[in-house]
Amino acid sequence: MAGLPTARSAVQVPPGVQCFVGEEARRRRAIEDVVTRVFEGWDYEEIIPPLFDYADVFASPDLFARTYSFVGRDGRVLALRPDFTSLLAKVAAGRLAHREPPIRLYYSGEVVRYEPPRAGRQSELYQMGLEHLGGRPGTADAEVLAVAAECLDAVGLPGCVLTLGHVGVFNALVAAAGLDPASVDTLRERVAARDEEGVRAALRRQDMPERAAAALLTLVTLPGDVAALDILDAAVAPFEAAARAVGELRSVLDLSAAAGLGTRLALDVGELRGLDYYTGLVFRIYARGLGSEIGGGGRYDALLARFGRPMPAVGFMIGLDRVAALLERNGSDPRPARPPAAPMGSLREARAEREAGRRVRLAVDR
Amino acid sequence: MMPTLALSKGRLLAGAADLFRRSGLAFPDQPGRKLVVECGGTRFLFVKDMDVPTYVEYGAADCGIAGRDVLLESGADVYEPVDLGFGRCRLVVARPAGLPLEARSSLRVASKYPRLAAAHFLARGVSVEVVRLSGSVELAPALGLADCIVDVVETGRTLAENGLEIAEDVAVSTARLVVNRASWHARRSEVAPLVEALARAAGAAAA
Repeated sequence: MAGLPTARSAVQVPPGVQCFVGEEARRRRAIEDVVTRVFEGWDYEEIIPPLFDYADVFASPDLFARTYSFVGRDGRVLALRPDFTSLLAKVAAGRLAHREPPIRLYYSGEVVRYEPPRAGRQSELYQMGLEHLGGRPGTADAEVLAVAAECLDAVGLPGCVLTLGHVGVFNALVAAAGLDPASVDTLRERVAARDEEGVRAALRRQDMPERAAAALLTLVTLPGDVAALDILDAAVAPFEAAARAVGELRSVLDLSAAAGLGTRLALDVGELRGLDYYTGLVFRIYARGLGSEIGGGGRYDALLARFGRPMPAVGFMIGLDRVAALLERNGSDPRPARPPAAPMGSLREARAEREAGRRVRLAVDR
Repeated sequence: MMPTLALSKGRLLAGAADLFRRSGLAFPDQPGRKLVVECGGTRFLFVKDMDVPTYVEYGAADCGIAGRDVLLESGADVYEPVDLGFGRCRLVVARPAGLPLEARSSLRVASKYPRLAAAHFLARGVSVEVVRLSGSVELAPALGLADCIVDVVETGRTLAENGLEIAEDVAVSTARLVVNRASWHARRSEVAPLVEALARAAGAAAA
């Protein structure tokens, strides 16, 4: 093979992994500390789930293709966790089966995915997130938004936008029209791309009834202001399930606005990308200065039933890598101040200083 | 901070300049060798056509103008809110005149659009080996490098000059406005006016 060196050097690293040393690591831990403290402030409990589990836990079609799997000692297929949500759902149904809802859990750690090189994505991702399981829909969603907003303030990114959508609107409209899965996929993709022309073309091919087609187009053309929800309301009025979805979205917006979050929210009803286990509200967090979202979440009412404990659920996560990149770009330093380590001439001295709680560096001449 | 728009100096440049004029927006007069030009409240980035979606996807540009052919090939995760209407061309399968492709068990296709080319044939149940080229794709069949090509055709003259004829249509391409998702939501006040002005001008032309 001409060109690339084939001899593997002893220090070669596989593509997509990251390693952080010293101050970089401190920066990341500082961000993590700030965020997890906010989680605890809202009475979420930490869960440290295993690094891997049986592969079928992560059976969402979207995840499965990107999961690193391997065969375990018992001959069953295992997978490194590509995601925390499925694991937490399993724990809530298994180990915490007797705990009364609502169950509030948070996590912070790596997930591992096979990702083709794309903007902002690595093979290893560090996620800090939470799940609110079995809580009251609407109120729980607004709570999650409030926690997210506070995390952003706490890390020094107060200007972020939280965009809200609801997968139920699109799903209800295509179900009512009885479209085949391939057509639904094309339509979903074009709506998510905000490609009005493309959506019109796809709708024409489908010969969709006019009101349904108009409603679908509204998903693409709807302005981002929260007030525009009225337009969507009117467009989906004849479609019961879609109207219900818009109603749910409205109620979360109202609850959030009443709590003072209104200015940070925007609409993105065409947001249809992402994990297919979402069943309701979906939201994304965008910051000025970063080309991709820094986090997001949504409602996933059907997931816990897969593990035998049907419960509504909502959650979100923030990507540590992205927050770190953004803070660095903004020139802001999350590390708490600390005194420099004082050089010590002997181990006895050093231990004495340590007893007093001071930082030391043993510097004995050779 | 003014919005950044990425575009190429190639095929779509004249159409882009015209669109800006029709929108009442300033456009760099003669960008010459400069790659970054600030003009009339917009920062223009002149990059290779295949790179426009990349710049926009990463947010190095808030928005960009790229052909649908390039967008389809890149698969970039960006918003595509407006079909700008100009720069229309076809992506086609072309082969040596008079030589049907059907009888082959496997096919070698040369293209600047390896993903699109592969997807086109695979979707039809035809296995292909794609030879990726950066340019002068029309030479490939005559030189024995490929059985056919997937390439852009405007007048058809280049194909004819190389003894090729169109066998199938792959896609139609026009210039598109693409926008970075985060910019759309988080830099709305900077980006929306530009997008709206261009959309209005494009819509007026289409009418």
